[in-house]
Amino acid sequence: MRSSHPNAVEALVRKIPCPSTTGLDVHSALRSGRKTETMKKYWSILTTQVVNSLAYPGDFLGRSFSIIVFMLIFAGLWRATFAAAGTESINGLTFPNMLWYLLMCEVIELGRPRVNRVISEQVKSGEVAYILSKPYNFLGYHFSHGLGDGGVRVILNLLVGIPAVWVLAGPPPPPLGWVMALTLAFGAWVLHFCMMSLIGLLAFLVEETNSFELIYQKAVFVLGGMLIPLDMFPLWLQPLAKSLPFAYMMYAPARLFVKPDLATFWQFLAVQWLWIAVLIGVLALVYQRSVRSLTVNGG
Amino acid sequence: MSSITVTHLQKTFKAKRKAAGLGGSLRALVRPVYVSVEAVRGLSFEMETGELLGFIGPNGAGKSTTIKILTGILHPSSGEASVLGFTPWKDRQKLAYHIGTVFGQRQQLWVHLPAVDTFRLFGRIYELDDRDVERRIAFLSEAFEIGDLLETPVRKLSLGQRMRCEVAASLLHRPKLLLLDEPSIGLDVVAKQHIRDAIRRMNQEEGVGVLLTSHDAGDLEAMCKRVIIINHGQIVYEDKVSNLKRKHLSSKMVEVRYAETVSSDFHLDGVEMLKVGHYGVKLRFDTQRTPVQQVLARLTEAGDVVDITISDPPLEEVIARIYQEANPS
Repeated sequence: MRSSHPNAVEALVRKIPCPSTTGLDVHSALRSGRKTETMKKYWSILTTQVVNSLAYPGDFLGRSFSIIVFMLIFAGLWRATFAAAGTESINGLTFPNMLWYLLMCEVIELGRPRVNRVISEQVKSGEVAYILSKPYNFLGYHFSHGLGDGGVRVILNLLVGIPAVWVLAGPPPPPLGWVMALTLAFGAWVLHFCMMSLIGLLAFLVEETNSFELIYQKAVFVLGGMLIPLDMFPLWLQPLAKSLPFAYMMYAPARLFVKPDLATFWQFLAVQWLWIAVLIGVLALVYQRSVRSLTVNGG
Repeated sequence: MSSITVTHLQKTFKAKRKAAGLGGSLRALVRPVYVSVEAVRGLSFEMETGELLGFIGPNGAGKSTTIKILTGILHPSSGEASVLGFTPWKDRQKLAYHIGTVFGQRQQLWVHLPAVDTFRLFGRIYELDDRDVERRIAFLSEAFEIGDLLETPVRKLSLGQRMRCEVAASLLHRPKLLLLDEPSIGLDVVAKQHIRDAIRRMNQEEGVGVLLTSHDAGDLEAMCKRVIIINHGQIVYEDKVSNLKRKHLSSKMVEVRYAETVSSDFHLDGVEMLKVGHYGVKLRFDTQRTPVQQVLARLTEAGDVVDITISDPPLEEVIARIYQEANPS
């Protein structure tokens, strides 16, 4: 059981003699114990959501097969494009490159967090009252919840999508491409989480956020390089597109998946986490303000 | 010692007003009209540690808003509140370790999972030791009679079964204070009784204080020692439940059914006839003016009684009378 008063531990710590005199670093031990408890808390939310996602396994597996349909459509479109262009490679990307690139984009898109929908539903139903009355960080809860949900979808979509693309376009990229792509894909997921949370927090004011999500999704499709890789954009537009966060939500992991390059990887990783830092700051500010204006429906 | 102190609490919402129909929707789109709604108006009260306090009032009285402010979910427009030494809206997460909340029309249990999974998750969220969680689950299973329900996915439970699990889940971390917002809404008599018994037991055995909002007079009478009645965000009555019963629940209702046709002439001092038929009557009387014995004697003299029911008037009626007394206009 936790201490009877939240400040009791701190009071106890103050009474403990200085570590240098006891030879024991009690302070850091308590701090690390606290961190472990916090980690366990968010890990449990994540694992519970994984189990929750698999409550209807048939439906879940069925939905995963939609990625095959998407890949078949993309294969048809790009085969025709390459044939019309009469070339094996467009801006450095071959047809197999293109399909593996699009698979990575689709996996990220289908696995991105739907935080705004969850928050919006919770605000409309009033269940946000329960989420806010528990001892965890509201956004931390949604991060773990979303990661549990998205993680399962990413794994299943990869398991179904890889054999499909292998049949359509040949073997997958080398292991280095996988390492770089999955590293950047995690950052892409975090970027999506920040943006979707910002949209989700709008629900505290306007309740329904679907329209904002639609605009956001289309911006990611175009500026994130899902419809056309950024390398195929007009030359004047490429630097602008690559400086926006959207590029690091899809293009960066997908591009390095098919064309792994260490220098580009570090550059993309740095810009991606810079955007994450900026968006986390904005998110924290917006959360502090919006939680004050929350109204809970019903009751 | 007080576990809750509320001083001049005020909460004003800005609500959008929209006329009915397509025209109204279009006008609201072009020129939205907002009105201020004062949900809580200068509320002040105290609640002792371990007390069972009923917080009642009609729909829209401000009960739920007050509970949500006390849990830290809503920020008040002005005023002060202290719950177990914390200012709820400033120390929401710290306070959460010490209070349990139940919102009757919402659910905190994960619907697709068995309740025991949510219990174990809550164990981690409240940073409890795993063995302690299992012991606590065993204790709550017995107290709330939910042992055979814990392994069933929550979506397959009846409302009464689910609510028992919901209340039990909110007590997993041994809170000092339980805030219950309409816990019995929509439940049948047996389910209500189960929950009332278990909450009373937790109050007696663990000293958990209970602040309860309800529409149900039964909840108030079965669980609470003191009552605060609010309307339009203000306190209109505050007293012990026993005093409320003595002062305002002194009237009784009697319904009698006879084997044969009886005369409808039941003139008795202080008795109000509510329904008179050939085979029965329904009446109300004040026990302080007319003794129960006298009324029953008169009713049994009239004919061969086959059924008789004596009941208290609905609490809503009592509250309405208190409002009228407080606001004669």
